[in-house]
Amino acid sequence: TGGHTTEILRLLSCLSESYSPRHYILADSDKMSEAKIRSFEQKRAETFSNSQFTLDRIPRSREVRQSWTSSVVTTLYSILYSLPLTYKLKPDLILCNGPGTCVPVCICALLLGLLGLKRAIIVYVESICRVETLSLSGKILYYFSDYFIVQWPALKEKYPKSVYLGRIV
Amino acid sequence: FRFKDSLAEELQRADLVISHAGAGSCLETLEEGKPLIVVINEKLMNNHQLELAKQLHRDGHVLYCNCSTLVETLQSMDLSTLKPFPPGQPEKFALFLDKAVGLK
Repeated sequence: TGGHTTEILRLLSCLSESYSPRHYILADSDKMSEAKIRSFEQKRAETFSNSQFTLDRIPRSREVRQSWTSSVVTTLYSILYSLPLTYKLKPDLILCNGPGTCVPVCICALLLGLLGLKRAIIVYVESICRVETLSLSGKILYYFSDYFIVQWPALKEKYPKSVYLGRIV
Repeated sequence: FRFKDSLAEELQRADLVISHAGAGSCLETLEEGKPLIVVINEKLMNNHQLELAKQLHRDGHVLYCNCSTLVETLQSMDLSTLKPFPPGQPEKFALFLDKAVGLK
């Protein structure tokens, strides 16, 4: 969604073409991100001739301030929905930065890993907006990601297993 | 203005920006190198949105006030005290990631 998309595209901006093909996963309710992504990929294709990407949508796992019990149900639904997609994509690397959308995908990737079907590296970058507290996705994925990156020193202190590289977006 | 796709044009022409504390607005303005006054409405906002505005203020990049003190702030402001906002460095992320996945 919105700010998350802008941030993640900035994160991608300096990556080499080794990180290809790129598979974008969006929430079904997200109206604006697709245009930003296509614009980014179009520019990229001008520099890298073999640039490839796909775009898929999954149900949004949770609306802002949605109640706890209904969030569990909608997240479970998103996880079940994402499982065939994640299995099909079998990602080597998952890069996410905080929207609820990323949690079901990461959980599916963890399941695939547990079942011995595919082990993905999960890299989570917390949003630049998060200076002193983590987002809910961050709090969950802090324990399940391989690399957890924060952009402000106060968070590095609170979450010692995180990586601090300064501001990267 | 109602809703425009992008305020980039207006932003380029502006000498001063007065904005709410939304991260996108703040960062876009600072990256354009424009002086920024952030107006906080504590009743409307949840705590996490304030975090970035507060930090940017602490680091000397923005001025900060609420609706009732805006006029006073405008009258007494000294924009020369604002520090330039260096851009983020996605290259550092790329370097880190290359090592993490074993590319380098």
